[in-house]
Amino acid sequence: MATEKVYWKGFDQLANTEVSQRMAQNEFASEIPMEQFLGDEKLMGSAQTSRRDFLKYLGFSTAAATLAACEAPIIESIPYVVKPDSLTPGMPTYYATAYTDGQDFASVLVKTREGRPIKIEAGDQGRFNRGTNGRAQASVLSLYDSARLRQPQKGGVESDWATIEADLKSAVDASITSGKQFILITGSVFSPSFKGLIAKLRQAHNNFIHVEVDAVSSSEVLDVWEALTGVRAIPTMDLSAAKLVVSFGEDFLSAGSAQQMSKAYAGSRKPGKSMLRHIQVESNLSLTGSNADKRVKIKPSQVGSALAYLLNEVSNTSLAIASLDDSLKGQLKGIAAELMALKGQSLVLVGGNSGANAHLAVALNAALNNVGSTVRVDQPIYIRSGNDRAFDNAMADMSANAVGVVVLVGANPGYSRPGFPEAMAKVEYSLSLCDRLDETAALCAAAAPVPHYLESWADYMPTASDLAIAQPTIRPLFNSKPAIEVLGSLIGEAQSSKDWVKSTVSAKGLSWSQTLHDGGASMEVKSSISASEVASRAMSGASEAASTAASAKSGDFEIALYQKTVGSGNQSNNPWLHELPDPISRAAWDNYLTISAKDALALGIVNETQSNGALNGSLVTLTVGDITLANVPALIQPGQAQGTVGLAVGYGRTAAGRVADGLGVNAYSLNISQGFAAVSMTLEEGEHEFASTQLGNTMMGRKIVNEVSLADYVADPAGASWNEKPTFHTLEGSKTANEANLWANHDHETMHMWNMSIDLNSCTGCGACVIACHMENNVPVVGKQEIRNFRDMHWLRIDRYYSSDMTKDRANDENVGGIDMYAQMEVPGESPEVVFQPVMCQHCNHAPCETVCPVGATVHSREGLNHMAYNRCIGTRYCANNCPYKVRRFNWFNYQKNERFTSVNPAQDDYGRMVLNPDVTVRSRGVMEKCTMCIQRIQYGKLEAKKAGQPLADGAVTTACAQACDSGAITFGDVNTAGSAVQVAKNDARSYHLLEEVGTQPSVFYQTKVRNTRA
Amino acid sequence: MNRSKTPTRMRFFAIKVLRVLTIALMVSALANPVHAEVDAELGKKLFKANCASCHKLDKKLVGPALAGVTERRSEEWLLAWIRNNAELRASGDADANAIFEEYGGSVMSAFENLSEDDIKSILAYTSIPAAAPAPAKDLVPAPLADRPVEDDSTLLYILGAFLFLFVILLLRIRNTLKEVNGDTGTTVIQDANALTRWLVSNKRFMTAMTIIVTVAFLYQLFWFLMGIGVEQNYQPVQPIAFSHKIHAGENQVDCNYCHSSARSSKHSGIPSTNVCMNCHMYIDGSEIVNEAGALKYAGDRSPEIAKIYAAIGWDAENRTYIENYEQKPVKWIRLHNLPDLAYFNHAQHVTAGQVECQTCHGPVEEMEVMYQYSELTMGWCINCHRETEVKKTNGYYANAEEGTQSINERLAAKFHDEKITVEKIGGLECGKCHY
Repeated sequence: MATEKVYWKGFDQLANTEVSQRMAQNEFASEIPMEQFLGDEKLMGSAQTSRRDFLKYLGFSTAAATLAACEAPIIESIPYVVKPDSLTPGMPTYYATAYTDGQDFASVLVKTREGRPIKIEAGDQGRFNRGTNGRAQASVLSLYDSARLRQPQKGGVESDWATIEADLKSAVDASITSGKQFILITGSVFSPSFKGLIAKLRQAHNNFIHVEVDAVSSSEVLDVWEALTGVRAIPTMDLSAAKLVVSFGEDFLSAGSAQQMSKAYAGSRKPGKSMLRHIQVESNLSLTGSNADKRVKIKPSQVGSALAYLLNEVSNTSLAIASLDDSLKGQLKGIAAELMALKGQSLVLVGGNSGANAHLAVALNAALNNVGSTVRVDQPIYIRSGNDRAFDNAMADMSANAVGVVVLVGANPGYSRPGFPEAMAKVEYSLSLCDRLDETAALCAAAAPVPHYLESWADYMPTASDLAIAQPTIRPLFNSKPAIEVLGSLIGEAQSSKDWVKSTVSAKGLSWSQTLHDGGASMEVKSSISASEVASRAMSGASEAASTAASAKSGDFEIALYQKTVGSGNQSNNPWLHELPDPISRAAWDNYLTISAKDALALGIVNETQSNGALNGSLVTLTVGDITLANVPALIQPGQAQGTVGLAVGYGRTAAGRVADGLGVNAYSLNISQGFAAVSMTLEEGEHEFASTQLGNTMMGRKIVNEVSLADYVADPAGASWNEKPTFHTLEGSKTANEANLWANHDHETMHMWNMSIDLNSCTGCGACVIACHMENNVPVVGKQEIRNFRDMHWLRIDRYYSSDMTKDRANDENVGGIDMYAQMEVPGESPEVVFQPVMCQHCNHAPCETVCPVGATVHSREGLNHMAYNRCIGTRYCANNCPYKVRRFNWFNYQKNERFTSVNPAQDDYGRMVLNPDVTVRSRGVMEKCTMCIQRIQYGKLEAKKAGQPLADGAVTTACAQACDSGAITFGDVNTAGSAVQVAKNDARSYHLLEEVGTQPSVFYQTKVRNTRA
Repeated sequence: MNRSKTPTRMRFFAIKVLRVLTIALMVSALANPVHAEVDAELGKKLFKANCASCHKLDKKLVGPALAGVTERRSEEWLLAWIRNNAELRASGDADANAIFEEYGGSVMSAFENLSEDDIKSILAYTSIPAAAPAPAKDLVPAPLADRPVEDDSTLLYILGAFLFLFVILLLRIRNTLKEVNGDTGTTVIQDANALTRWLVSNKRFMTAMTIIVTVAFLYQLFWFLMGIGVEQNYQPVQPIAFSHKIHAGENQVDCNYCHSSARSSKHSGIPSTNVCMNCHMYIDGSEIVNEAGALKYAGDRSPEIAKIYAAIGWDAENRTYIENYEQKPVKWIRLHNLPDLAYFNHAQHVTAGQVECQTCHGPVEEMEVMYQYSELTMGWCINCHRETEVKKTNGYYANAEEGTQSINERLAAKFHDEKITVEKIGGLECGKCHY
């Protein structure tokens, strides 16, 4: 057929308007003034540089540049004058410390090189919440944030500490004489030293008030526990003792003490008869919900009634219940039956900040005999203690001109609490002790820098039995002073922050050097809280809580706030956290309204893929009560409960720094203290550009993530029925992918053979590994636009797949044709099951990339690794095109120099550069890069073994991703070592290779996911 | 390739033959051990590593000269003293306290890590009579100024100029002879014209010449370009005129004493100033003699050593550190600069590979001013990896976890009796040095 088709550039051309005709004739839209310039003899003559001169200059500068390039620069090598004993240049030094950023707490090890912290690793065994989530990993970059406050400031002008302290002292004295209050606003305080200071301040000043405020509040929940146990703290929820966990919107795998929870969760979910079953009842599809065996969608306002319904089912109570629809009731009945069957071995969790819901959950646990067994009321966790009532009172006093002095330490209510700026305007003197000139510091008379946690001494009691010590790992970068010393100066307290910590340790009767070395200590503490008393109190208050819950304000649409990897917003200016795509939506550098496909259709909200593959979405305006939030981008989220929308906090900052400012919208401005509210939406003009890294949302019926139900797994442990290996028909008969070779095999028996196993059953998809990889390997940050262009540089990505309602079996049964079937398979289900799959370079033993490289820049090693020599690479990108796993990353720009990345790439300023790993090359433009399996760590581990004269022990070498994984999903090691963990994993019936049928023989293999589903 | 550097970069062009000879001499000196006793050999090593910073055999340093110390003291006493002299002093030993007083109360470290045999070995070494001629004397290379400054190519240019003059001379002679013969003489210009006409008419000759000249030019260009960035013989002027010859050569201080991190770390480490002070607290250079045998600084302290004092803040008059002194680190000029894309680890070579420092750094103990001895090019690395045998005695290769074959056994199964070079264990793979 002849090509008679005509393509129009636009509607103008189709209509053949006059303008379009003229446009078609002219190559350039506007006239180029060529004649005007070249035709003007006088202008040409008066030009200083003739053409010949120009050529001379060109020739000279080329020659000069060439000669200059030949001259090697003189490099100075400056040793210490007095070298610290603990430091050997070129060798890492580790310090045990405690990470806290006002939201999380974790016990960590800090790796320093030449006195610079460069990596955060999991803390010692036995420490509370040892491990690292994404935020803990990324926190080392926050240390080097150039937006940090460097000098004390007074009224926006640089000042000094003496002035600040003198001003504070006189302001406090003035407040005493004028009978006004002196208010100290902090985040949750669980440091014994700081509590000691507060006690002294209270003693010295009768007008002193201390208020704790958390950005994401748990205040109502804490109120409930305070009433039940007498202690303002949430108890430990012991997953390891549970066989069934039912979570109502609690994202326990990413919030609170998630490291501890993830470990216990993965440990209890090892496939087998006693595998923990997990049911999640929620509105937003959370990370935890996507790992659940069964997920029930619910509106946030119904959670309380659902809990009351369950309580009625299991304990013959008749609590008030708001109307629930029948299908939900049916599902709740099933949950009730399961809970009844596992009394004392189940656990009910509830998220959000509703006191009624929290109370009903305790009552339900009490009715199920879980209080005391899985709900460890004797082990309260103190990392949350914010009190909203106290804060609201303080705000009221401030507004009533009753407050003389406000000092803020590590709290930013100016950002997270609407109304706070107005209240601050009525305060006589205010001082913010902060890390940057944030939204709150801008409201204060003075602001002064406090050290980053990696620069400071501190002590923490996250539980009654755990003491954690934070020690400095670098000298303070800026002229900062610990808050405890600044406030101490008010009462003439001369102790340094280190002295405070030392006296805490000695008061506990512990050895200073041992405690410091271990990063803390554990103590035996007998709790006086009686589980049975808590249970009976919980039951007696249940009916009141149920009626409160039943009257929860519902709406056609309800919004539930949630947290992404950025968290509550304290580390918003950290580009690593933004660059990491959201585990669920896979969109980076944004927050957005998540909405179900059906609701989106009804409201006219669209998400469209553009011709370049990027995703655009509609904008809406949200209204909660009388507060509106305009231009919120909406993203269609499979698994979102109908009638609900979700919005992440931590975005919409205005004074955090060049990375965070203007990114997303501020969900705190909606003033939703309970975490959910009724909302109305109106569609706006315009489109939002998302930076989504994954557009193929389903597996299209392929075995990418292999999955099996627990029943099938137990019935056939050898895996013949659920882990079938592909075979090839050859002249010599049927062969497996390992036997059917086109190429000669490499020698992998003589030296080490590095393999990696990824247990898809343990992987929760949190993304800590991605950030660990990012910092270990100096991976550049590329920013939103490049992510949108699918040019993200992560060596390790976590693919997320939704299940589709269409399957091959169903297509067979319903007689759906092939094309229709695949078209429908592309669409994720309304209530999809979710799987995560970390994918990095698979280090194929028959690597497709190696055969196509024209310059031999990527070659195979004797140790099973696929090497990448950056300086050989000429950037043809053949390898990336030939990679079936799409794990190769190309440096399109010189990210650490190019000015378009200045606002996002930390390596562009002198502070951000300090975080670079000195053992790994910083790649330049035009070269390919990819996962090396942390070859620098392998080489280091081998050398340490050689230095010790010992064979390399299993576990001596591990990759950054494996180390960062709290749930232990990644196992790395030498399969040539008998009995090594990775060898055991390789021989497991669950192990399989990704795209095994391609015949690449990867060194990475995956363990089949087992889902504890019930028929 | 002989590019001149900035003024601070003096270059010298040592004749390679001389260097080869020096190495040969050195190797032969090492190959003929002076002492046959095994324990004394061990003792020598231990002495260098542990004692040499404060003691010499024949001369007082921080502590007394140790030659023949076994004749002066009983072995039992020496063992106790070396093991833990503070303990011995505390026990009230009169000799011990006397010697402590004699040396101004400077405290000798305790060496509890040394076994009794180790100490006996050291003592055995001290009791050996001094070897007659110091071999170092023969090894001293020609002083810097005396080294020939031209290399072969300069000589060639001079020879070429002579030949050119010779040709002109012959032409003139021929012309004179012609004129004598009655023929008309030709000028040089006419001769040149005739030659040019001849060349233009001989196309084959011209083609051949063009090819030869082009190839020669490209060959030279290739080696010129390959030499860019190769800083062999780079010898910058350092802020302190530190002599490796005096320290490592004459005083036989072990390389690892100052460059201690070479054994454990990626970097060999430039010693921090406090390491210098371990010795230079006592040695201020006032006793240095010049060639004439007179005191070089007329009994004053050496101005070079004074620079160390200025860096760390040592008050040499009162023998104390100055309080609240603003210390000024010494800004050494770095000699060995590998590009960032290449990963090199000293510990891998020094500890695991047992490579002598001199293999790459040359006869440092003879260098008055340190220079870059090796090319430090990738080809140079690779060649060594091809030829060097793996130190298979290291437990990393020799031992194995239960149930696993050791690497040595696996290598033997694959290569049988062949020499196991670094290449055979993957030492030529890109990713071993580039990541």
